Amino acid sequence: MADEKVIEKLKELWTKYEEIDGKFDEEMDPVFKEPYYPGVAEKLFNPDKPMENRITDIGPPYFRQFLPPIIKKNYGKWVSHEIIQPGVLKYESETGDVIYVVRCGTPRLETTDYIREICDIADKYCDGYVRWTTRNNIEFHVDSEEKLKALIEDLKNRKHPNGSYKFPIGGTGASVSNIVHTQGWIHCHTPAIDASGVVKSIMDELFEYFGSHKLPAKTRLALACCLNMCGAVHCSDIAIVGIHRKPPMVEDDRIQHVCEIPLAIAACPLGAIKPATVEIDGQKKKTVRVNAERCMFCGNCYTMCPAMPIADGEGDGIAIVVGGKVTNRISPPKFSRVVIPFIPNEPPRWPTAVKWIKHILEVYSQHANKYERVGDWIERIGWEKFFELTDIPFTEKSIDDYRLAYTTYRTSTHFKFTKHIEIK
Amino acid sequence: MPTVEYKGKVFEVDEDGFLQAGLDAWCQEWVEYVKEQEGIQELTEEHWKVINILQDYYKKNGVAPMVRILSKLTGFPLKKIYELFPSGPGKGACKMAGLPKPTGCV
Repeated sequence: MADEKVIEKLKELWTKYEEIDGKFDEEMDPVFKEPYYPGVAEKLFNPDKPMENRITDIGPPYFRQFLPPIIKKNYGKWVSHEIIQPGVLKYESETGDVIYVVRCGTPRLETTDYIREICDIADKYCDGYVRWTTRNNIEFHVDSEEKLKALIEDLKNRKHPNGSYKFPIGGTGASVSNIVHTQGWIHCHTPAIDASGVVKSIMDELFEYFGSHKLPAKTRLALACCLNMCGAVHCSDIAIVGIHRKPPMVEDDRIQHVCEIPLAIAACPLGAIKPATVEIDGQKKKTVRVNAERCMFCGNCYTMCPAMPIADGEGDGIAIVVGGKVTNRISPPKFSRVVIPFIPNEPPRWPTAVKWIKHILEVYSQHANKYERVGDWIERIGWEKFFELTDIPFTEKSIDDYRLAYTTYRTSTHFKFTKHIEIK
Repeated sequence: MPTVEYKGKVFEVDEDGFLQAGLDAWCQEWVEYVKEQEGIQELTEEHWKVINILQDYYKKNGVAPMVRILSKLTGFPLKKIYELFPSGPGKGACKMAGLPKPTGCV
């Protein structure tokens, strides 16, 4: 179609869309009617008049238009499901319809080529429908066993040139599903560790748990590259957080111009930052001073103020927290807690961190009862037993000392003797 | 640091086009320059009201005002501020007023 025609058509559709005031109409939704035409945005945008032809506040496309017909038909009518093998689910509806779902791991960061390959698979087996899960796995839906077999066979044979699976099947039931993770050194400016690299190293080591149901319960892993904890680190069974161990530098010469100093002061959870004035080349300049004794290296001030960088090659590293969960099943949701305060950054494979995570998972898998999440297991046996069984050295870093710390101390004589306690 | 030249003046800016030296380097030419960048047709009294209030607040408090405070002080609802500055109060108005680049998880 000629460009002008496409633009005309789009404008017409958008006008109609505005007329119905966002009320959904499959026939009228331009996203549904018109495939994306990459030239249009460029054609419509005029830098001298940025508000002309501007389309805004349209929200995401309505999800119903991307549902496979069989799912649309049985929406709200599902009766049961079963996991027929790791990574493959079967749903049955009250209308008698059956649908099979194949779940595959992804690296989350994906190229358009990879997404096109996913689309090709979806076109071939699933009539062009596919979805991503909340842990960034992909799910393909098929409606017959023959298609299911062919799809699984196809997915198993797809590999990257250097050998890793493109679409490993798994992530269901009592498994280690995908790791929820963040930007790391790929894109963020405040990380203490990398995200994608660490995740790849861990999933390589735990790959057998992705495609199997060997664990007592599902085990959620998450990673955040700084204490902002984007994602699910604070509520995951085993999680990795990037931490710093040195106070920020203060760039006195430019802080006054690039920072709103009161914001940097208010950003500190410990009140370690105070305003100051320095003289540079005979000029008085406003700046701040950090009380290193009070600083716990959270990096919040750097988030607010670019003139207070904190990242440090040797100081930065990984902390491991365990025992969190979000479901209400049996026990209420829990926060995860620090068990290993520091492991150095060891790119590209982070062997020490990977070793400890695998070790924690294996000890949990050996000792926990069925249905017990990591946090449930630790609460049953007691934290001192957890440290004994896992051989993790307990340090004072695991003892809370922030504001409400008192509630985390032991106000009871109930405890178990462990090898950490020397009896003379 | 990159610099931009506009009507004989040289400004040191960061990669998002905010003034590196803040209000010290701010002048009439800077406003003209940003106006072109932001696609604003004409600077009205209302634009200047927002700029002046931002600068006064910054000089007095050391921070840019919260959006609600800016609305209250100018009497303009957020919608109106977006009409004046299409990129919004942070990227548009603060840049034009010579305030530091907004930080945090934006």
